[in-house]
Amino acid sequence: MDRLLLLLPTTTYRTEDFLDAAHRLGVDLVCASEAPSTFEHHAPERLLTLDFTDPAGAANTVARFAHRYPIAGVVGVDDRTTVVAAAIGERLGLRANSIGSATASRNKRLMRERLAAAGVRQPPFQLMSLEADPRALARHVVYPCVLKPLALSASRGVIRANDAAQFADAVLRIRAILGRDDVTVDDEAKHACLVEKFIPGFEVALEGLLVDSELRVLALFDKPDPLDGPFFEETLYVTPSRLAPDVQKAIAHATAEACRALGLDRGPVHVELRLNDDGPWVIEVAARSIGGLCSRTLRFGTGMSLEELILRQALGWPLPSTERDGQAAGVMMIPIPRAGRLVAVHGVDAATAVPNIEDVVISAHLDQELVPLPEGWQYLGFIFARAETPGEVETALREAHTRLSFDIDTPARRPSSP
Amino acid sequence: MSDDLKAKVQELIDSTINPAVAGHGGFVELIDIQDSRVYLQLGGGCQGCGMSDVTLKAGIERLIKEEIPEVAEVVDTTDHASGSNPYYTPGKA
Repeated sequence: MDRLLLLLPTTTYRTEDFLDAAHRLGVDLVCASEAPSTFEHHAPERLLTLDFTDPAGAANTVARFAHRYPIAGVVGVDDRTTVVAAAIGERLGLRANSIGSATASRNKRLMRERLAAAGVRQPPFQLMSLEADPRALARHVVYPCVLKPLALSASRGVIRANDAAQFADAVLRIRAILGRDDVTVDDEAKHACLVEKFIPGFEVALEGLLVDSELRVLALFDKPDPLDGPFFEETLYVTPSRLAPDVQKAIAHATAEACRALGLDRGPVHVELRLNDDGPWVIEVAARSIGGLCSRTLRFGTGMSLEELILRQALGWPLPSTERDGQAAGVMMIPIPRAGRLVAVHGVDAATAVPNIEDVVISAHLDQELVPLPEGWQYLGFIFARAETPGEVETALREAHTRLSFDIDTPARRPSSP
Repeated sequence: MSDDLKAKVQELIDSTINPAVAGHGGFVELIDIQDSRVYLQLGGGCQGCGMSDVTLKAGIERLIKEEIPEVAEVVDTTDHASGSNPYYTPGKA
């Protein structure tokens, strides 16, 4: 039985779906996280602790492990594990992207520089030190702009600024975010950020699989809600795209160009692009699959999940159809209405009863402190829909969302201590 | 459920499984055994924990099936959505 190493940050959303996929495929699984499992001593052949901030060290640890328990494939499930997966892959001679390409997709400065060198259409950008006086920095920027931390995910810390005052506020805010206990980034990412020209337009997300350097488009998601800032909280993803075929083709071409520019040649990619009269602009390239629980919208061939496809490819197994099943599908990442402690959730049954709604998952737990963007790092939950047309999917998702309500105890409402 | 099988599973939970998960504020309760399937409920820090699946499949299930070969499957009956103090909370990683 092939043994596969799965790199699972303890805070990932992807654990259940990847483990289910491994079970369905009959794969022998080794799970590695950055903190020890409570059963690591009982199951040392199945559970590993790795430092995801030290790819070379992690690769050494896995190499020692693999002497005793040979590994046939490695998959990093999230942004935090893409470079480590590449390092382990290189060290063990497994199917994986190069360390250089994984690093380029993980560090937004490197990504922008490589895309620029290859002539890929992307926002004009500059690197700015977060240490300098923000009011002085603000004088050297063309507005509107978008400030972006170098190594965070899912729009965390991404802020639009329309003028110098907003720019200065954004710098202070990003500094605070990067100083949080739950943020671990390298020195460069701690002290600098990108400043990009704001690109107006319709945003899409392309979910792809690179097979021997060739891009296979697994799904193109429209994002029907405008993302104009000041923060860029994603809400709706709907597939298939309702864009014209020639536009979709241009998006796929731009994505393939971007992946080539970064040196990515295998595995999943999740790419965000903006569209306007100039064509597609590459906003972000991630060398991993779609985040949160959103992969549950995707089914391939006779019902295979995205995770199964990814694991099969990592093991060098044949890939059956990568054609998505025929139905339209979509997900809403439930927006966090305001900061505070989640006290109660109402209307889940009513939301689930909406026609074409497949599931409603509240991933936040009661008593959890909800933190909206740009500081936030967790989803409130997800609504999934499947229907004959993308329009019906979008309608169902919006209707289901209206049936949900959340009791959130804000600090101002809390009784003061006696 | 056979009393003998129940006793074996319970003993393993008491001697090995619960002491292991207690380190993360969790506990495991035996709910039922039917047709060689063991039904468990996870609580405390395990309920709603982002790593509960790993704990269950790579840890608890493996241990039970190795020590008690007559067990065919371990089923998690936990309502993870109701967990209010999970040890690991999922986030954007």
